[in-house]
Amino acid sequence: MPEAAEWRGVSVRYPFVRSAAVGPASLSVRPGERVLLLGPSGSGKSTLLLTLTGLIPESIPAVVEGDVRLFGADVATRKPWGWAPEVAQYFQDADQTLCGMRVEDEIGFALENQALPEDGIAERIADAMQRVGIPEGWRSRPSSSLSGGEKQLVALAATLVQNPPLFIADEPTAHLAPQAANRLHALLTEHDGSRSVLIVDHRLDGLIQAIDRMVVLDRSGTVIADGEPRTIFREKREHLAELGIWRPAASLLDARLAEAGMAPPVAPLSVEEALAHVDPDTANQDDVRKARPSVKAFVVACAAPAVAAAHDPPVVARLMKADCAPFLGPTVLRGIDLAIRAGEVVGILGANGAGKSTLGLCLSGLLPLKSGRRTGAPGGYAFQRPENQFTAGTVRDEILAALPKSGADRSSPRVADILASWDLAGFENRHPFELSQGQKRRLALASLTASDRWPLLVLDEPTAGLDARSASDLVERVGALSRKGRAIAVITHDMDLALRLCPRAIVVGEGAILADAPTGELMSDAPLLARAGLAEPSCAPAMRWLRRAAAC
Amino acid sequence: MLKALNPLSKLVACAVWLAASILVFDARFQIALIVVIAAVLVALNRTSPLLLLALMVPFCLFGMGFLTTSLLFRQESEFASRMAGEALFSTSALSAGLTLFLRALACGMISAFFTLTTDPGAFIRALMVHARLPPRIGYSLFAALQLVPDLASEAQQMRFARAMKAGRRLRRVPGPGEIVGLVIPLLAFAVRRAGRTAIALEARGLSPRGPRTVMNAPGFAGADVIFLVAALGVLGLCAAAVLAFR
Repeated sequence: MPEAAEWRGVSVRYPFVRSAAVGPASLSVRPGERVLLLGPSGSGKSTLLLTLTGLIPESIPAVVEGDVRLFGADVATRKPWGWAPEVAQYFQDADQTLCGMRVEDEIGFALENQALPEDGIAERIADAMQRVGIPEGWRSRPSSSLSGGEKQLVALAATLVQNPPLFIADEPTAHLAPQAANRLHALLTEHDGSRSVLIVDHRLDGLIQAIDRMVVLDRSGTVIADGEPRTIFREKREHLAELGIWRPAASLLDARLAEAGMAPPVAPLSVEEALAHVDPDTANQDDVRKARPSVKAFVVACAAPAVAAAHDPPVVARLMKADCAPFLGPTVLRGIDLAIRAGEVVGILGANGAGKSTLGLCLSGLLPLKSGRRTGAPGGYAFQRPENQFTAGTVRDEILAALPKSGADRSSPRVADILASWDLAGFENRHPFELSQGQKRRLALASLTASDRWPLLVLDEPTAGLDARSASDLVERVGALSRKGRAIAVITHDMDLALRLCPRAIVVGEGAILADAPTGELMSDAPLLARAGLAEPSCAPAMRWLRRAAAC
Repeated sequence: MLKALNPLSKLVACAVWLAASILVFDARFQIALIVVIAAVLVALNRTSPLLLLALMVPFCLFGMGFLTTSLLFRQESEFASRMAGEALFSTSALSAGLTLFLRALACGMISAFFTLTTDPGAFIRALMVHARLPPRIGYSLFAALQLVPDLASEAQQMRFARAMKAGRRLRRVPGPGEIVGLVIPLLAFAVRRAGRTAIALEARGLSPRGPRTVMNAPGFAGADVIFLVAALGVLGLCAAAVLAFR
């Protein structure tokens, strides 16, 4: 039986660029296999996926060398649209999958193109909506009226409905709330011997257990590992970390246990697996005691450091009885009372469409309230898409625009210092749009923090699209800013990030703030998490293990 | 009720009404068209009269151009005045201008009738099924429809960023300088978005040839025949009434 998909020595070079975006790379997906493709930002994962049905070079100009084959046939034997019955593609950006119709029509579009009977299409649409968890009420909504996460759900249903022998998904859960992301991971990887799956995703916890094989690319887009996830995450642990590739929490715990000589016999893919051999109820108590410092260190590393509150820091911004609505839109949050103090990092959590970004904009003072009152300093807002924030033609001008209009502070050395401190030295004359995603986020933050204009910063999904190293770097920088007294609100779907970065968090849902408490407390409130469409962080089983071990 | 009709029936009726409005140069006929269509929209489509009035503002401004031109430049409007020679205001210099003004308003009302009672998606589907509009063009139109709100939302984000950097509140209506500053980034966004949509259409199997199903395409029913007969009948009655009172 031929491979479902195969790249043989494939390299891709975009026009006007000297070096190849990816490759030469050789990899394959066997029939019925579920393969995860990992690599740092800019390693060419998405490019590789686009060559699979010939979208590169047919629709996106590039020079492709090597062979790309689908089900044994050269991909060039058909036009990209001719592969649609065999290959369903979910792109990184939901807007790349959706075509501008009502939800129902979006989901049925690929089936219409296959000229299936109308009744059959209607049945499959209903089934896909139900599987993905799309409410019936969305059927007639235009896809343009949905939030980013909601669009992602519809795009996924539109891809799943095709039910082809090969499914390609490029970061399918990037903007989804945890519960929705978990459901989608389960849907994507449900065992079906007739369906092959190739996924690129950074959210590995909850997904990795269902993966048969994983392929890892390095920065140049060359394959550096191809095999079973357990083996790769243990044997290439340091190399993956060095490249900034995301790893499941279990891999980090495995490393700590290994240092103490308590590594599990089989490389773990979940925290539960990592601790199964030292179960406090059944394992040798000496082993449990030996493992405890490692588990504790792992948990400590997962959680934000406790804030030493020597005195009551001043309130930087406060919302009182605030009703919040998107610009020219209906009210989505009512009666909000929220205060954020200097040096505080507050997580804003909630399901897709709960109103987190609207709350962030109101908190920063950019969005006028429908009713109620806001007091405090103006806030700087780092948008989900950093491109929207850039107004200047070069990186240097972007920083200059953020500095006070007069004074020595606008000197070249000052700008150079700022850029160097954000690892942007050498990019002064580049257009901000030419930077990588991580660099764009750093530039957005550099411009927001270049002066003292904004004692409050609101960061909207700051780690979306970043590799592990860039995300870790961002966490450190945010920590440093808070230590300097900035108040920071972080809007995120990433529970691990919230726990690691934010000592305090609020949960938004049902048109109000459902909870406002220390993040650790919120994360152990299972009913609240379920109600808000959230899920516990990946280190939660280790926290429970510590409690059980302490009780023994 | 009007929304349930096939968009193509409404298109045909509106095209005939527009042609009649252009060909019958009579203020009374234009008034009759405006009143009848407005009444139908209010009674059968539950359209707010205030909304109708608001929608007619740009057409009024457009029509005012004709009116003032006719009044200020009588020489140039001689032909139009002659055309309106047998009309109600035949002796007045106001006559031609007023008729032109009402015609602009009638055309606006007919356009409002079509847009207020027609789902754009259903219209495109009807064109693809009944008027052989190529699907590639049809779905490009769908994408264009989506691009407008997307551009608005993108512009909104950019305006927030600009307001933040300028240290001011977001203005409800952007100033001219702000609009100029948004043109290039929005154009870049539109180009990028169009490219992505083209890829999305192709990746999901939209081909230039071969059969395809079009779901939820509006069909023709008895109501469409009744509507067309009624629309043409009302038009005939208006024309007949005008002729009878000449």
